[in-house]
Amino acid sequence: MWPPYTYHHLLAFLLTFLSYVLLHSSRKTFSNVKVSISAQWTPSAFQQNGSTSSLSPGETWEENKLFADMGEATLFLGALDSIFLFSYAVGLYISGVIGDRFNLRYVLSFGLCGSAVTEFVFGTLTEWLQFYNVYFYCFLWVINGLLQSTVWPCVVAIMGNWFGKSGRGFVFGLWSACASVGNILGAFLASSVLKYGYEYAFLVTSVVQFAGGVVVFFGLLTSPKEIGLSDYSETSLRPVTRDTDSQRPLISDDEDELCDEYSIQQRDEEPEPQPKAIGFLQAFCLPGVIPYSLAYACLKLVNYSFFFWLPFYLSKNFGWKEVQADRLSVWYDVGGIVGGTVQGLISDLLGKRAPVLAISLLLAMGALVGYSHSPNNQLVNGALLATTGFLIGGPSNMISSAISADLGRQEALATVTGIVDGTGSIGAAGGQYLVSLIESKLGWMCVFYFFIIMTGCSILFIIPLIYCEIRSLCRDSQARTHQL
Amino acid sequence: MIIESHDFVLAKMTAGVTTSTICLCTVFIVLFNVYVDSQDTDAQLCQMCEGTVRQDSPVWDFCLTKGHIRGRCCFRNNTSNVDTIIGLDLANCSISHIEHLYNSSTAFIIDLSNNPISNLSDFIFQGFSHLTQLLLPSKLECPGGNASWEKVEVKNNAKICQGQTNICNQTVQMPWDCPENSFCSPYGPGFFECSCLHNFHGYKCLRQGEFPIVKVLGILTGSTVVVSSLLWFTQRRKVKNT
Repeated sequence: MWPPYTYHHLLAFLLTFLSYVLLHSSRKTFSNVKVSISAQWTPSAFQQNGSTSSLSPGETWEENKLFADMGEATLFLGALDSIFLFSYAVGLYISGVIGDRFNLRYVLSFGLCGSAVTEFVFGTLTEWLQFYNVYFYCFLWVINGLLQSTVWPCVVAIMGNWFGKSGRGFVFGLWSACASVGNILGAFLASSVLKYGYEYAFLVTSVVQFAGGVVVFFGLLTSPKEIGLSDYSETSLRPVTRDTDSQRPLISDDEDELCDEYSIQQRDEEPEPQPKAIGFLQAFCLPGVIPYSLAYACLKLVNYSFFFWLPFYLSKNFGWKEVQADRLSVWYDVGGIVGGTVQGLISDLLGKRAPVLAISLLLAMGALVGYSHSPNNQLVNGALLATTGFLIGGPSNMISSAISADLGRQEALATVTGIVDGTGSIGAAGGQYLVSLIESKLGWMCVFYFFIIMTGCSILFIIPLIYCEIRSLCRDSQARTHQL
Repeated sequence: MIIESHDFVLAKMTAGVTTSTICLCTVFIVLFNVYVDSQDTDAQLCQMCEGTVRQDSPVWDFCLTKGHIRGRCCFRNNTSNVDTIIGLDLANCSISHIEHLYNSSTAFIIDLSNNPISNLSDFIFQGFSHLTQLLLPSKLECPGGNASWEKVEVKNNAKICQGQTNICNQTVQMPWDCPENSFCSPYGPGFFECSCLHNFHGYKCLRQGEFPIVKVLGILTGSTVVVSSLLWFTQRRKVKNT
């Protein structure tokens, strides 16, 4: 039943996995050292007998006045997140198209190495040269967003080349653990090196990322065709449930035309000739791309807000140290990994993805309510975090990887991945600044209500798909009973 | 053609030499001025008043054993080139206003009595952690208040502030603490500074220890080279160019 995977498949899996791990770990580094960076940019807030005065010696306590206080620094950090995500989103639309046209390996290693250099300049060089400038930081982060955007479409396209439609949900589910593993690695690296100074955290992650780019350049095969193996995405291997397709002519008269458009997983009946890359607008109009893109926008907003702001929330709300908060935020990612894999497997066995997403997202809304009322207990908080991660991270991983690969078929893999993730990033970008705004004006509880509303919206966007897929599920099970 | 280019090169060389000499001269002039300025401040302070340290002042008694006198200042007897002021006598000098006492923060004894000073900012004495005896015109208060000094008395129309108390020890008067990773140390009468604890350094004492940068970079470079070559041999060498 399993297609013949070779060790080349394993290496392709591992190298693409590694690329995205390194990318995410450097992003996580930035969010985990936020407290240290904002401390570096501000003078000490020192209260004496009710009036603020300055501490001596001035060089140690008062010298850096990039921002007047931690509040302003925090707003700027939120703005930096938004800037990064906006440029990342714009870059995704472009990079998907570029990846489909040029050599995926070159684009991937260029993105990895370039982004590593930018991060080094941002975090380490500015500190060594004691050069703090708001515009410079923004400029660097825009460049970083554009360079990092090359990675995701390329890695999903490469994975799509190596792993065909059957079993894709499970493999991709396992593979999309890369984002969470990257978060964990980034958190671990940041917390081990943070005591030497935040600039060393940036140094380590950017050097490791650069090394990853070099390794990918020398070792990655973008497609089985490069060494003469057959391209598995052309073969029409189907899971057990698909046998009912032979019964289709009996019931197809009742089929809704709308649902026909959305039957994205039943197109691999004939192997297609090698197609050329299609244009951006054509890819945009492929069935299912728009609803999934919009749903992903809402979902990625919630996911990324957890990712970016969790350590900050934990240390500000419960007073836990930054290092402790970082270690605890790992549980969210663990939940995400398990969620993506389990839900991918279920959707493979079912043959349908949307219903699995819907159930998980409904439960996620409840989990968010539960987490917002979490007590000041690290164990309970960690368990709630893992649950929330399972329920939100799972669908998020599926949409951005397996479903994008399904939607894009073969000729537009990178482009469609770019579109879905690009729209998701725009949503996440808008959300970042909103989160810091809501938090400063209304408090953390309103932030959680905002997350719940967003999760609900993402369910709304994929309702047509859910409807069609449940219908075809019922039809298939009816056909099976007919058969018997 | 060749002669022309030769001339051209020569012209460029002379231009280059001239510019570099001009630059060097400017640097020297600036450095000289800085040096003279620093000498000036010292000289300024010690020549603020005519004469030298008066024989009937406590500064004289202090200086007899500890240092040598130059102008109104008492400098420490030491072998190094740097002259540190350990005593300052500006009594009876018709000084009405003091902005700053420049480089005398190492002083142990300062005499400012018998001057028509109307008020004295406490901040002038910030950093004067060695100051054990301060004489002021009798109308003025001791900097940092009476609580900052062990003994405050008025004698011979001069207020004598004697013996700085360690502000860090006075728990009654301290509603604050030095931030994390730093400890309190006295920094003048009524002042304190927060210095980084051992092994902590940098801005706000946030950094601890030395990062082993060479070791980390060496390991990373080595493993990258090994893994890349391994993968290249097993993977990309087999690529068929279609």
